[in-house]
Amino acid sequence: MLFFLETVITGLLAGVMYSLVALGFVLIFKASGVFNFAQGVFALFAGLALYDFIAEGGWFHDLFGFVLPVWLGIIATMGVMVIVAWLVERLVLRHLVNQEPIILFMATIGLAYFMEGLGDTLFGSDVKPLNIGLPNGAVDFLLDNYNLYIEKLEIFAAVVAAIMVTVLAIFFQKTRIGRALRAVADDHQAALSVGISLRTIWVIVWSVSGFVALVAGIMWGSKSGIQFSLSLIALKALPVLILGGFTSVPGAIVGGLIIGVGEKVAEIYAGPFIGGAIENWFAYMLALAFLLFRPQGLFGEKIIERV
Amino acid sequence: MFYREAGQFKTSYRADEATFPILQDKIFVYAFLAVAFLVVPFFITDYSANAILVHFLVYALAAIGLNILTGYCGQVSLGTGGFMAVGAYATYKLSTEFPGLNLIVIVLLSGGITAFVGVMFGLPSLRIKGFYLAVATLAAQFFLVWLFNKVGWFFNYSPTGMIVAPPREVFGFLITGPEASPVVRYLFCLSIVTVAAIVAKNLVRGRLGRNWMAIRDMDIAAELIGIRPLQAKLSAFAVSSFYIGMAGSLYFAVWLGSAEPTEAFDIFQSFFVLFIVIIGGLGSILGSFLGAAFMVLVPITLKTIMVDGFGFAVGAAKHVEVMTLGALIIFFLIVEPHGLARLWAILKEKLRRWPFPY
Amino acid sequence: MAYERNIGETILSVDQISLSFGGVKALSNISFEVKEHEVFAIIGPNGAGKSSMLNCINGFYHPQEGTVTFKGQKRRRVRPSEAARSGIARTFQNIALFKGMSTLDNIMTGRNTKMTTNIFWQALHFGPAMREEAEHRTQVEKVIDFLEIEAIRKTPVGKLPYGLQKRVELGRALAAEPDLLLLDEPMAGMNLEEKEDMCRYILDVNDEFGTTVVLIEHDMGVVMDISDRVVVLDYGKKLADGTPDEVRSNQAVIDAYLGVSHDDE
Repeated sequence: MLFFLETVITGLLAGVMYSLVALGFVLIFKASGVFNFAQGVFALFAGLALYDFIAEGGWFHDLFGFVLPVWLGIIATMGVMVIVAWLVERLVLRHLVNQEPIILFMATIGLAYFMEGLGDTLFGSDVKPLNIGLPNGAVDFLLDNYNLYIEKLEIFAAVVAAIMVTVLAIFFQKTRIGRALRAVADDHQAALSVGISLRTIWVIVWSVSGFVALVAGIMWGSKSGIQFSLSLIALKALPVLILGGFTSVPGAIVGGLIIGVGEKVAEIYAGPFIGGAIENWFAYMLALAFLLFRPQGLFGEKIIERV
Repeated sequence: MFYREAGQFKTSYRADEATFPILQDKIFVYAFLAVAFLVVPFFITDYSANAILVHFLVYALAAIGLNILTGYCGQVSLGTGGFMAVGAYATYKLSTEFPGLNLIVIVLLSGGITAFVGVMFGLPSLRIKGFYLAVATLAAQFFLVWLFNKVGWFFNYSPTGMIVAPPREVFGFLITGPEASPVVRYLFCLSIVTVAAIVAKNLVRGRLGRNWMAIRDMDIAAELIGIRPLQAKLSAFAVSSFYIGMAGSLYFAVWLGSAEPTEAFDIFQSFFVLFIVIIGGLGSILGSFLGAAFMVLVPITLKTIMVDGFGFAVGAAKHVEVMTLGALIIFFLIVEPHGLARLWAILKEKLRRWPFPY
Repeated sequence: MAYERNIGETILSVDQISLSFGGVKALSNISFEVKEHEVFAIIGPNGAGKSSMLNCINGFYHPQEGTVTFKGQKRRRVRPSEAARSGIARTFQNIALFKGMSTLDNIMTGRNTKMTTNIFWQALHFGPAMREEAEHRTQVEKVIDFLEIEAIRKTPVGKLPYGLQKRVELGRALAAEPDLLLLDEPMAGMNLEEKEDMCRYILDVNDEFGTTVVLIEHDMGVVMDISDRVVVLDYGKKLADGTPDEVRSNQAVIDAYLGVSHDDE
């Protein structure tokens, strides 16, 4: 029983990590109408940049002879991500206004390839440990008293995610910019015609998304180091988004939790019967099953087609 | 000036429906085929045959398959790698269980098996559309790769988990296995791909192709004028998977010789074929060939320039190659989202008017 | 002004149809009949539920109550492709052409329900498939001829101006040789000449092939001119039906169009 509880809680916390990543996707999808496959690579890139600013082994140290303290490093990386967002808007998005979604999606795949190659070229492709002082190890209280192994880092991530979700939800619903973002997601041309500056909105959104990527990069990087597999997070986030609906912030959370728990439970309890490592595809099958009953996801908007 | 079709009048509907209504096109294609079949075999060294020609043919075949599903019928699929794996493993099992079976039959059967699997995974398309469908096909991709990794029956319980293509021949010529000559491999693949392309062109021009395109353009209207969406979508999945299965079969048996599912058929394979289709042009058989040529030649060219020309380390060269690929894809999507096939059509338009500017 | 024609028995009858979307009631207890070979118009202010009515006949919407009887077959839920195969063809308010295909191909899709060669002959192309293509091409060319759109045969439909697109859409519906033709605002956005052309086509089709026509139209002149009978809808309810003259002098209809407020809404 206790083991089951531990599995579920670990699953929930893993789910929170997924949600964190999924959030970045939802943001961009809400505002640009495009699924940004490169989001995972953004997280990787942000992690790499941060490492470079604060660690002895990086460029920055070679160039300037010192490293930044963590808080300054984070701000500097944020700056880098804003520049990236601006460049993406200028060089890619601007030219693809009103293209079909599949074209935009392919462009983000191209972007992912490009950013990854760039990251590897600039920063090297070995795994980098990210040590920025986040709480580590198991929660002693729970371990000693209840024999439950729960990582402090994951609880920290859960709290951070909760805060971010709340802030973002308020941002979207209550502010003027939030409304503009939703308008843009609906129809680029219509938004242009009421005077919404597409460019500014996009830079804002991709920057916010870059920030989310940074946070995700920090969380995942602290857990397992900054490495290539971070870029494949996009593939993990997809089932989350399908479950929750591509345009819903609460959906990303709920979807992440369901996938996180589902995966862990399936792996532990059903895995041994089928050969293990079913984590690879279980999330997708779960999402697929959901899709058959609710094609737009749990919280997504129902698409009504008129003739 | 020599490309004008003035004077070429069609006197029957049949003539109008011919594959190459313009005489110059017909001559060009026949000449090209003649060169491919009769001239090239004399100039092939082992490296060029495998690295470029057979590679190209296999991917062109896969691209035709994906084009039928995504370009003509509008059902986005990211499961190409997984389906190629089905074709490859089907080939492996068939050639090890039935050693006497003719390789051509094996390739066709592999295609058939993949078609069946494709229809299974295509069933969700009746409920799910667009981007969500793409994600559903990802489920197929991951599941299939896992399946071929885990279930020992598929790789005959070999301890390495790899499958190796046993030597097989057709009409006395050895096609698979390390002893097979590059010329024979090339001609085998070329024949299969040529026939497949002709069949694809015929399907696409007729009732089936129109139904597919109708579903792609506006599936509600298609249903309202009497096209049965079930039949149209599943037939697209079936035909597409057939082609992709055959491509997987050739990829494994003729090109690679041995394969391991996580590397040879992973999601990057799916992306690769999708890039070919997009760069070549969605909804164009010619585009499948152009795109495949592009995607096969560019990495090789880049590597040759960087490693041999500039002395880069191989690892670094790989990173730059990935970057360039990404940049090229974005470039193409911005400049000509309809791909090389559209550029080719524009070129022909200009040829019509040449030497006059307009 | 309807002239002497063989108006036959009832080919389509709509009984007590009610349709709602969520809380919105689009149609309430609508009943009317359409006789074979006649031109029947559905009119009413915007939002009255006219297109929804057509969609129910077509099988695109499934009414919660009521039935549609076509050629003796009664049903409430039918799949659109089955409705099409039973002899109903239609055009749409917002053009529903296949933008990626040429005019010729679009109209050929209209013949789809009549094509039967299976996939293997299709793959081969020579033989039965080619013969069938040529046969159907001949029929389609007759439609193209009738609608005078020969010049734009090979043009991708997305490039055509609005008026021509509407004509191509009519062509696609006609190519199916339907018994019942449903036209949803076929003259929307057209100038006088184009409207006269369209009227001529509709009347010719009705006259030569005996196709029953049900059309939704806002232009009262057209409606009064070419229809045999008319039904008036408003807020999802039927106000009146009968010949154009009867309907024109019906007080409820006049009120609806002139906007007199109703207390019992």
